[in-house]
Amino acid sequence: MSGEITRNPKLAWREVDGAMVIISPEDSQVHELNETASLFWKHAEGKTLDELVERIAAEYEVARETARADLEELLAALGEKQLMFVAPEAKG
Amino acid sequence: MDLTYRCNERCIHCYLDHEDHGEMNTQEIKRVLEQLAQTGTLFLTFSGGEIFLRSDLFELLEFARSLHFDISLKTNALLIDIERARKLRELSVRKIQISIYSAQPEVHDAITKVRGSLERTLAAIRFLQAEGLQVKIACPLMKRNLTAYRNVQALAAELGVPYVLDMTITPKMDGDMSLLQLRSSTSELLPILQDASLNPRACSPNSLEAETISTGSATSSGIESQAYDDIPCSAGHNSCYISPYGDVFPCVQMPVATGNLRKQTFQDIWFRSEEMNRVRAVRESQLPVCSKCSIRQYCERCPGLAQMEGGDLLGAYERACELAELNARIAGVANPVSAMHAERSNGKNSCSIPVPTATPEVRIGSN
Repeated sequence: MSGEITRNPKLAWREVDGAMVIISPEDSQVHELNETASLFWKHAEGKTLDELVERIAAEYEVARETARADLEELLAALGEKQLMFVAPEAKG
Repeated sequence: MDLTYRCNERCIHCYLDHEDHGEMNTQEIKRVLEQLAQTGTLFLTFSGGEIFLRSDLFELLEFARSLHFDISLKTNALLIDIERARKLRELSVRKIQISIYSAQPEVHDAITKVRGSLERTLAAIRFLQAEGLQVKIACPLMKRNLTAYRNVQALAAELGVPYVLDMTITPKMDGDMSLLQLRSSTSELLPILQDASLNPRACSPNSLEAETISTGSATSSGIESQAYDDIPCSAGHNSCYISPYGDVFPCVQMPVATGNLRKQTFQDIWFRSEEMNRVRAVRESQLPVCSKCSIRQYCERCPGLAQMEGGDLLGAYERACELAELNARIAGVANPVSAMHAERSNGKNSCSIPVPTATPEVRIGSN
């Protein structure tokens, strides 16, 4: 999973009191992210999972395996709701 | 935000004049949108006039999307074709509200004063639906189309779209009250308010599909909060209205000028306008007459209409009191009388109840 992480471009969103509020235009579903997910939303755009793992491991002094597992879990949750996904790697 | 007051219909009940008195240009609107985004605004509604008369509409929509706004549109849809519907979908517009006055062309077209308008509007709705966009029908009710709600209800069901009946006909923005002659009397509204398929008070809570059927004002954002129990409405709290000329008001129906975006930033107006802060300070419990009203729960008092029709943002006004009494009667309250009517009635016999006046420290100045 080394493609860039990207937000679903269809979504409307705004940070409200530190929490990200996201609305899906297709079904008017409102999502409110918790603090951790909001940080991920703000900082993960355009980065690969590997880059994020390195950064989290360095900044929070956690094992890479732990950081990767946590981030994969978060990304899977956001992906399930079609909020963020990993873009396919460019060929060539 | 109204992008223009120009329009290609001439609806008999419209509160706007349709001349262009100097609309904000593309760059001015983009600057406003940036300020709105910086201030934390999420929900953005482009309205008018007819927004598709702005040649820069799609440029503005694209810019608004780049700022991650949730976008809704209000339009008569006459100028929406297949291509424009596709563009709206590509821009992730969330909701498009379209006015329909009747499913009968002769009734609808007589109100819009444009022959063939119903047919064109319905064609546009189908284009939008084909693109998977959410459409909502708004049906303002007045004398001319009072019985049309049933065929609009059926039309909405046939199209598979939600609808809202709006019984609010407002004075013109310049204060001209003549439009009020168009609205139905409360006795004429009785059958509608008693219609179990429409009125939340006349049917069990479980039978009402809140997402698909509702009555109320079409100015509502559709996403309401229960957190405002002691606040008259959302105006100036989580919403405001911007005219095509950059004037900012707490609501389109509240003629309290708070500033102009050609002279001030949105932040200046939103956070520091004295008038905006005065509107914000109003609490239901402080309303001099309405706070004492025994049938308050049946009332849909609008502060802006209180200002426009009664001359006092904090006051009661005839239409709201009449409707509250009607709603209370329908709900089974015996001889319901609003506080204003009670005071007026008592005042005829004695002076024991003072004439209602606004509390000075929270009084809102007239426009």
